[in-house]
Amino acid sequence: MFWHSYKYALKTLLKNRMLVFWTLVFPFLLAMMFHLAFSRLHDYDVFEPFNVAVVKDEAYENEKVFSEAFKSLSEGDNKLFNIEYTDKDDAEKKLEDGEIEGYVYVVDGKKKVKIKENGTNQTVLTMTTEQISQSAKMIDDIAMREVAKNAGREVDVAAIYRNAVKTVTEAEPNIKDESHVMNIVSVEFYTLIAMACMQGAMLSCEMMNRCMPNITNRGKRVAIAPTRKGVIVASNLLAGYTLLFAAVMALIFFTRFVLGVEYGDNIPFICLLAAVGGLTATMMGMFLSVILKTRESAKNIIIVIVTMVGSLFAGMFGVTKMFFDELAPGVNKVSPVGLITDGLYSLYYYDDMTRFYINVISLVIISLLFFIFSIRSLRRQRYDSI
Amino acid sequence: MKNVIEVKHLTKSYKSNKAVDDLSLTVKEGEILGLLGPNGSGKTTTMNCILSLLKYDNGVINIFGKEMKPDAYDIKAKIGVVFQDVAVFDELTVYGNIDYFCGLYIEDKTTRAQYVEDALKLVGLEDNKGQYPKQLSGGLLRRLNIACGIAHKPSLIFLDEPTVAVDPQSRNNILEGIKKLRDNGATIIYTTHYMEEVEILCDRVIILDHGKIIASGTNDELKSLAKIEEKVTIEVPDLAPEKLAGFDKIKNVSEVEYDNGVLKIVYGKGKNNLADMVEYLKANKINYNKIFAERPTLNDVFLELTGKELRD
Repeated sequence: MFWHSYKYALKTLLKNRMLVFWTLVFPFLLAMMFHLAFSRLHDYDVFEPFNVAVVKDEAYENEKVFSEAFKSLSEGDNKLFNIEYTDKDDAEKKLEDGEIEGYVYVVDGKKKVKIKENGTNQTVLTMTTEQISQSAKMIDDIAMREVAKNAGREVDVAAIYRNAVKTVTEAEPNIKDESHVMNIVSVEFYTLIAMACMQGAMLSCEMMNRCMPNITNRGKRVAIAPTRKGVIVASNLLAGYTLLFAAVMALIFFTRFVLGVEYGDNIPFICLLAAVGGLTATMMGMFLSVILKTRESAKNIIIVIVTMVGSLFAGMFGVTKMFFDELAPGVNKVSPVGLITDGLYSLYYYDDMTRFYINVISLVIISLLFFIFSIRSLRRQRYDSI
Repeated sequence: MKNVIEVKHLTKSYKSNKAVDDLSLTVKEGEILGLLGPNGSGKTTTMNCILSLLKYDNGVINIFGKEMKPDAYDIKAKIGVVFQDVAVFDELTVYGNIDYFCGLYIEDKTTRAQYVEDALKLVGLEDNKGQYPKQLSGGLLRRLNIACGIAHKPSLIFLDEPTVAVDPQSRNNILEGIKKLRDNGATIIYTTHYMEEVEILCDRVIILDHGKIIASGTNDELKSLAKIEEKVTIEVPDLAPEKLAGFDKIKNVSEVEYDNGVLKIVYGKGKNNLADMVEYLKANKINYNKIFAERPTLNDVFLELTGKELRD
């Protein structure tokens, strides 16, 4: 019975043009658009340094690791920026006048970027600032751990910092070399993979609606059949997940081998995170479908909104993840899309895999919670009206 | 004959509105029971409660001698349901749809393949099995809906208004199919607001209004409730007012209505009323085109009991 239901569920999904478009075609189209948009970055002859300003005040001076790293980007043959140090008012005026693409400043230890419009240069500035900020934090963390390890003993703090800088810079690709610029592009594709995973919510909602007599007429037929609800629900969800998994894997391999996106050695980890992320999205769709007592179309709209807000917070729509992490700390730690993107970012930002696995485990736990709450609700469900 | 369904004191409310009000009924093995009533009378709600699709406030429902519950899979295995709204997958062919729904009941592939063929034959869709639902006309789609509900050869079948918005040819096909199901031994609950279908198909009829049973019995038993023996309709193009007044005085006539050249006369009782009327028309030199008599319908019974038409 399970495989009979699974076979037909998969068959109907594959023939549903709307679902196939959003799950399979749309991410591929976006991938190609990204590829076209970022193709300039592949060509180093046309990648010219651009003008940025840095607000050089006490707060900036206090961020020694960050300021040093940023300064290094305006030096040498492969420099990214033409940096001008100034005050905030002047930087604002230059931005308004179009003399600079954006400016960087520090407030309460937080590194911020102000840009006027969106474009490739602005993306490079934002992403680079984020990366340096993350790296600076890592250097601080490593140094602090070393200091703590040697508690009670006399230590050379400057030497510890020098070692930490060495550790981080050796672990990461040089900020100015080709691989770094390629990685900026890769990060954009990470967000695309995360978004593709989230299509699982839409798929599972559709599959759940088929099993619910208060939503669809087909659900009534299923409800009066002598087949256990669990068997029908599980087979339908597995069919949805199968399609999603195939679509996301196809996207990863398409971007890598057709579009030539550089994921380095991370492909197995990206696949693992995509598989777990897709599962979480599937469980989220199941959960929302069960708890929302409304029409099929309204459920779909709510799922799209939840997914899009999660994507916005995860930094998919031009506004950086860092901005939302500061605005609403914690959201990205529980939002499936936030965890997927953070897991993918961590492959790029950190040499250590701890953060990646924390994200994977968090997604597994959230999936389990969605599953348990959905099943509890489904088991109790009888309908006042259908 | 033993009872297949026993419903006792079933009550179901939507907030303050009682959709089913203390309803009790039994359905005997092998019969076609018609649930007749206007829209909103509680037919579908009753059916959904019996099927355990809906929670109900009060009452006991037994099917095949056992309490009906959402997890009563042994009972469900013997039930087939044809819902009022078409419930098929647009992405599957006619054959695929029937095979899918039949497969929720029948695991053995060979048996299922035979059952699907039988269902296609029963509803007359053998030539359409490779088509998709969107390629079917409304009538053929209804037939597919029926096939999906009965392909697993259930012994108890619920048919909820299966002929709504169906062309005459498909309607006849559907009604013939239902008779075949009964002849094969199935017990059928047939909900409709088409009294003609009930009269053709049903062995016994329950008339519902506002969630209550207002009458039940065979067609003849119900018709005997109407205070009408016969209705005679005559096409009389020109009828002078003084001649119209004379019809009221004819023996057994209880009601006379003349409108648009059509004279309708209702007889409360009596025999040979049509022959007497022909004699009367001849004697009074009243010219007429057509004349015919009809027995009271279930609509007359409903009108008598509730003061309104079935399709109001």
